[in-house]
Amino acid sequence: MLESLTLCMNITRRNWAVYRKDLIANMSPSLADPAFIMVSLGLGLGSYLASVQGMPYIRYLAPGLTVATTLFTSFFETSYGFYVRLTFENVFKAMLTTPIGPGHVVAGEFIWVGLKGALMSLCVGIVLACFGMMSNPWLLPLVSIMGFFTGIACGAIGLIASGLVRNINQFQTVYSFLIVPLYFLSGIFFPLDEMARPIRYLAECFPLVHGVRMAQAIFWARDVPATLAVSTAILILQCVVYGALAYRFIRRKLVS
Amino acid sequence: MNVAIANVTKKVTKEAGAIVIEARGLAKSFGAFEAVKNLDLTVRKGECFGLLGPNGAGKSTFIGMTYGTVQRTAGSLTVLGHDPRTDARSIKRRLGVVTQDNALDESLTVRENMQIYAAFGGVPKHDATRRIDELLEYMNLAHKRDASIQSLSGGMKRRLVFVRALLGKPELLILDEPTTGLDPAVRHLLWGKVRELHASGTTILLTTHYMHEAEVLCERLVIMNQGNIVAEGSPRSLIDAHAPGFVGLFDPGEKRALATALAAQNTLRLHEDESVLMVRAPTLEQLTAFCTGHALRPTQLRPSSLEDVFLGLTGKGLSDDA
Repeated sequence: MLESLTLCMNITRRNWAVYRKDLIANMSPSLADPAFIMVSLGLGLGSYLASVQGMPYIRYLAPGLTVATTLFTSFFETSYGFYVRLTFENVFKAMLTTPIGPGHVVAGEFIWVGLKGALMSLCVGIVLACFGMMSNPWLLPLVSIMGFFTGIACGAIGLIASGLVRNINQFQTVYSFLIVPLYFLSGIFFPLDEMARPIRYLAECFPLVHGVRMAQAIFWARDVPATLAVSTAILILQCVVYGALAYRFIRRKLVS
Repeated sequence: MNVAIANVTKKVTKEAGAIVIEARGLAKSFGAFEAVKNLDLTVRKGECFGLLGPNGAGKSTFIGMTYGTVQRTAGSLTVLGHDPRTDARSIKRRLGVVTQDNALDESLTVRENMQIYAAFGGVPKHDATRRIDELLEYMNLAHKRDASIQSLSGGMKRRLVFVRALLGKPELLILDEPTTGLDPAVRHLLWGKVRELHASGTTILLTTHYMHEAEVLCERLVIMNQGNIVAEGSPRSLIDAHAPGFVGLFDPGEKRALATALAAQNTLRLHEDESVLMVRAPTLEQLTAFCTGHALRPTQLRPSSLEDVFLGLTGKGLSDDA
């Protein structure tokens, strides 16, 4: 058990060692994107809107940006990033000759995207808190819990895509027809209450809405313990389901 | 500086005849394609065992099966006392593999790459640094310790893959086409290292499609073709059994003269390849007598090699695009 965990953490450490080589370049989209969205949508579009759920639009938008960062950082890592490691860099061909097995590879990738999601969402959260977007800035560390589980669940979806695509270009289809719709139908930009019922139900099956509920509860200091408990439980369930699927597909790529 | 071989390998006590790899009726199919068909082979402790054959012969499929990245479809396989299907990890703890692809992390330095793999192999952190330094020294890479992978030549990368395979002091070292695409100087350097490792007691399983490499390194080998073993034995015994004696090579322009000369006798026969014409004879005297007697000018007269064994067995040259 302990040995398995050590082997998983080795994968995580390897990814970190590679990632930190180009830290600024690797982190900048995750941090810059939400900043631009804040300015353009929050201040630009927001000035035309009276209020959303009884608050200025920019305050409504802020929490979701931590979730958006988590989505993109983890999805790109396990889709394009993992696929390149698998297909072009052949990293796993050498790794699998060591005591590491396919299960350790998948679990190690999950720990990596979870930690990355936690760190990135926290960084964005800090910036937003500095702009006074949090009702109670002491709740800030809780954002990382959202980032961790949302990161793993979104990462699992990316890994499933890696297991299914036949070439690297096919990720564009996954991005356009799955990730982008989910991004816009997640409650980040507008409340989902007014949307048609099937869309709302469908959105519940994916990690984003749950991450957004957690982030909003934390930022607005509303029902924090209850929301965190329920949404974390749902996210863990999704991590297990999507993670198991991802393992099935990735194992087929690693073991023939 | 030369690093003593004793430092880079595990102390091995030679148990007479202990079996390291045993395959019985081993088979692997990918859909309708049978990559390995009914393979029987035994590799014993301390042996340098060769798997020869053209690309597509089933060598790499077999290698993958020994540590569990390829799952067999039939037969039994035991490696270092464990079944790779159920307990690959126990095997991999005692195994070092020079993979066919280098698969080094291009964005990391030499030392960082090795540190990661030392951790993968479970080498304790305080030992890892010393071990990496020793092995880099052993493979003449010490001066590249902090270089990026991108700055290394093809031969250096290959030597580094040897370092990576040796980090865990493996009992069984698998070399999967270790010298493909390398220049002769690097190839000879690596052959020297393989011989030292073998002499120190490490069991070695080597795949190659260079017949000469197997002749130089292996005590025993099998020749594979299309998923089957077509011959087995020591290089010498294979040559004696399947292609004894000497070979005369002739220019394709001499085909007509050669045919006439061969028609006049019935001991020697013509072997034809895409590129050369050859005549085989049990002794050098017989061959030279044949040539001078018919005023033939061979381009080369040489003793038979493993390559001739392969030609003799399959009637076809080793092609890389099989």
